[in-house]
Amino acid sequence: MPAYPVFSVLAALAVIALELLWLRTGIFRRSAYWIAMVVVFAFMIPVDGWMSKVPDPIVIYDPSVLSGLRFPIDIPTEEFVYAFAMVTLALVLWERAGPRGESSRPRVRA
Amino acid sequence: MGKYEYLALLGACVLITLPLEFVFRARVWRRPRRALRALVPVVVVFGIWDVIAIALGHWEFNPRFVTGVTLPPGLPIEELAFFLVIPLCGLLTYEAIKTLMRWFRGT
Repeated sequence: MPAYPVFSVLAALAVIALELLWLRTGIFRRSAYWIAMVVVFAFMIPVDGWMSKVPDPIVIYDPSVLSGLRFPIDIPTEEFVYAFAMVTLALVLWERAGPRGESSRPRVRA
Repeated sequence: MGKYEYLALLGACVLITLPLEFVFRARVWRRPRRALRALVPVVVVFGIWDVIAIALGHWEFNPRFVTGVTLPPGLPIEELAFFLVIPLCGLLTYEAIKTLMRWFRGT
């Protein structure tokens, strides 16, 4: 299996686990989070499209570490998984660092 | 732009998202300590991944578009900037959308 998609998926799963099992900010229940991710992905297309444009990319990947899927434009599709992990980690930590009670609905204790 | 192209692209991301701070009252730049608590772990985790991937040859940077300045463990300064700027854009977007949703609810 190519390394980049594999590690991107592992990073995304690790961030999801961090939120659900440890930090529990409740961000996945907020519509603002999901709308923000859609907006981030939309703006990612021109930015990452520029960085990965063939034949003149800024970042040059070893083809053997990629899944081979390039969509949209010339963006390696796994970049969206990578971006999900990176931006979600920042947002979860941002919520966690906020004043208690402001970040989400009150936590329900089991 | 040449060697500054990658940095210029990130600079454009900062400029384009800056109005979110004021027009949509994101208040991310104005809460720098909270922002750093969100961004520093991202820089550390993704920076380590980046240094390893570069050392293994998984990816490299087109020398025409980067300064070539690299921080000690092997992290190009452009990548350090990337790991700060892109999550920062995410924080600004998220807080701006929270504001918009409050406006639509009329609160």
